[in-house]
Amino acid sequence: MEEKITTRRKVLIGMTSAVGAVGASFAVVPFIASWNPSAKAKAVGGPVKVDVSKIQVGQKIQVSWRKQPVFVIRHSKEALAGLSKVESKLDDPSSLKIDEPYRDVNPTRSTSNEYTVLAGVCTHLGCAPKYYPEMESQPWDESWVGGFFCPCHGSMFDIVGRVFKGVPAPTNLKVPPHYFDGSILTIGEERGTA
Amino acid sequence: MTQKSSGFFNWINARLPIVNTFERHLSKHPVPKKVNFWYLFGALASVVLIIQIVSGIWLMFGYENTEEGAFASIEYIMRDIEYGWVIRYMHTTGASMFFAVVYLHMFRGLLYGSYHKPRELVWVFGMTIYLVMMAEGFLGYVLPYGQMSYWGAQVIISLFGAIPYIGESLEIWVRGDYYISGATISRFFALHVVALPLILIALVFMHLVALHEVGAGNPEGVDIEKHLDEDGVPLDSVPFFPYKVLNALVAIGIFGIVFSIIMFFFPEGGGYMLELANFEEANPLSTPEHIAPVWYYSPYYAMLRAVPDKLGGLVVMGAAIAILFVVPWLDRSKAASIRYKGILSKIAMTIFIISWLMLAWLGTVPVTASRTTLSIIGTIIYFAFFLLMPIYTSIEKTRPVPERL
Amino acid sequence: MKKFLLVAFLLTSYQEAFAAGGAPCGDYGECDSFKAELNNMESLQLGALTFINHCYGCHSLKYSRWGRIAKDLDIPEGIFNDNLVFGANVKLGDRMTGSMKPAVSETWFGIAPPDLTLVTRLHGSDWVYTYLRAFYEDSSKPYGVNNMVYPGAAMPNVLAMLQGQQILSCKDVPIIASNGGVRRDEMGDDITEEKCGYLKTIQGSGALSVQEFDEVIYNLVNFMTYIGEPSRSDRERMGWYAILFFVVFTALAYLLFREYQKDYH
Repeated sequence: MEEKITTRRKVLIGMTSAVGAVGASFAVVPFIASWNPSAKAKAVGGPVKVDVSKIQVGQKIQVSWRKQPVFVIRHSKEALAGLSKVESKLDDPSSLKIDEPYRDVNPTRSTSNEYTVLAGVCTHLGCAPKYYPEMESQPWDESWVGGFFCPCHGSMFDIVGRVFKGVPAPTNLKVPPHYFDGSILTIGEERGTA
Repeated sequence: MTQKSSGFFNWINARLPIVNTFERHLSKHPVPKKVNFWYLFGALASVVLIIQIVSGIWLMFGYENTEEGAFASIEYIMRDIEYGWVIRYMHTTGASMFFAVVYLHMFRGLLYGSYHKPRELVWVFGMTIYLVMMAEGFLGYVLPYGQMSYWGAQVIISLFGAIPYIGESLEIWVRGDYYISGATISRFFALHVVALPLILIALVFMHLVALHEVGAGNPEGVDIEKHLDEDGVPLDSVPFFPYKVLNALVAIGIFGIVFSIIMFFFPEGGGYMLELANFEEANPLSTPEHIAPVWYYSPYYAMLRAVPDKLGGLVVMGAAIAILFVVPWLDRSKAASIRYKGILSKIAMTIFIISWLMLAWLGTVPVTASRTTLSIIGTIIYFAFFLLMPIYTSIEKTRPVPERL
Repeated sequence: MKKFLLVAFLLTSYQEAFAAGGAPCGDYGECDSFKAELNNMESLQLGALTFINHCYGCHSLKYSRWGRIAKDLDIPEGIFNDNLVFGANVKLGDRMTGSMKPAVSETWFGIAPPDLTLVTRLHGSDWVYTYLRAFYEDSSKPYGVNNMVYPGAAMPNVLAMLQGQQILSCKDVPIIASNGGVRRDEMGDDITEEKCGYLKTIQGSGALSVQEFDEVIYNLVNFMTYIGEPSRSDRERMGWYAILFFVVFTALAYLLFREYQKDYH
């Protein structure tokens, strides 16, 4: 039999298909949304609180947040004053190439003028850089004035996590969102998100 | 279609006959031009199969197949996974709807003699699908590991123990342990998720191939292959696409209304689909007051309880399912459809329907003396319907079946 | 033989249950009806407060997380933390695992108080609502109370100071004949007989009146119904849209089907 595609048929086909497509798109939502992090993942990946008053000047501690190491370093005033001296070696001293949450607030790259909070993940391939605060000559840099050295492929960062020129790592160490409430540091969210 | 795209399809078709297959089995496949709503449950069954597979896969993302974690993982899916509750209810509603649709589909077969020559094999594959579905439903129900999961499994596995000589060892072998435990859950999980679905899909495929080889039946029992046009296409047929597809679409729409009402407003099905006792974690030391299977097993459960002997009950239950397989050879009528069969078949069918519904009800309620009597009567009627069929279908007077639709 | 007996027992076990006090609410008979109001935030919040203050000391809600309640019940986190969160190092993402160790409670009550997350789904909200109001004085029991809905319950009447004392009393009730009619004497008055086993609250013995107490329990059970299935109000809301969609779709599909059916009908 001949199939006449009349206007009425075209309209009905169009409307039914449109309604069907709308329904299908709503039906798909639960299947896609169910892949989002569950309440359990969000609970485990929630912010971490640290009391920083115990950290000694010049010391770095490490905490775990979202299964990643996070470094918290307490700087001496002298160390911070010496930051400008290393700038000629840096690839991105003002952290323009990355998402910097607290840009231009403090030389520490944090809301605090004493502490630096960094994701301890080398921006090359993800190893955890080691902290060498002493200003003394090192095998990887004769004029080392303190900072981080990544043992995997030799990337170097200064004491506030800014990457050196000419190393495998492309960008500065990331600063995670954080805030201070007196001596309690909360890593993982901005103030007032709660 | 432009030259380019038809060229593309021709290239593929020369190497993998997709165009030919699509036309032969879908777009141009001839189906009887006049069927009623009873003929749409097969399409709905395949829709539900897809719903179960997809929702089942998604449930696996959150389910923990261990003794310690199973029950809690269901609540994890319901609460902690975004829209997890949609997927869970879709699967439980789908399970019940699968059986509802398949029972109606089977009933259509009885009503219109769909199993008559040359469709006997379609029927046999169908019954095998039904059997696998019942196993699949049972295995799935154990997985949430609630009280009813545990004790239902306990009852069903202990039925294996009724088999003489090997019974007790068989029970341990099925459980993988001396009692129901994590070993049982792990293996039931693998069977429910992989083994039986693969078998089910293969069987559905065979069921459809067998059907397409001989063509679908119709409510009149007319053989449409007897009158063909000059191209060999039955005169009383229409191509599957778009005519039957549109018919199926309406059925899917109505089915969607029913499915949504149940899924969003009555997901527990009054305690018959999601049994309330299953909202408590399995406790091997405490038996629920009322152990009952989910509604779709209830007619057979009534039969099982009607027989006082354990092995006897198992045999009767097994025979009740087994006898369904041989219906094509029990029905000796010259007419396939109830419309043209004699008065005896019509009376038998009516009594059978009432008795089956009664058995279904009896399987859900607690046992009393009078109810046991009713169950025995129901069981006898059930078997009589089939065992006497060769007799009443041959002696009754049938009306002549029309030539054309 | 043992297997046969086990299966026979399992298959007929409900017969026993119904033989003795097997009515839905035990000795109380039919449960009092309870209709949840899952969108009534005030009721749910009051219920949550009652639960945390009076129940959470013994009963955990281990499938539920703290923060979810704050979000679903529109309670700001600060207020929630101050008034509803129990325990020191509790983060809002944690599950509500309870305050009592099972070993301790088993010594005190003979049985660990069950987790209550799913109790309204297991027994029905009607049952829980009736149960919580059906405690009565019974000096033969360890904690001095028994419960009409669940005779022999090990739970003490935690809310006794709110409800007051409840006792089993006797009432004069009209005699009902077998055809349902009420027996009357020559003057037309009902003939009564004394029947016992009714609950009676002693006026003034509790901080709340019977009505006020029922409201407290209503809110509490409303909250427990919510906790049994937190997504229920979402589910019912979305259901209307799903049904509407399918109705519209079916109508269009039907018109399209009939249009094409003209080709061969």
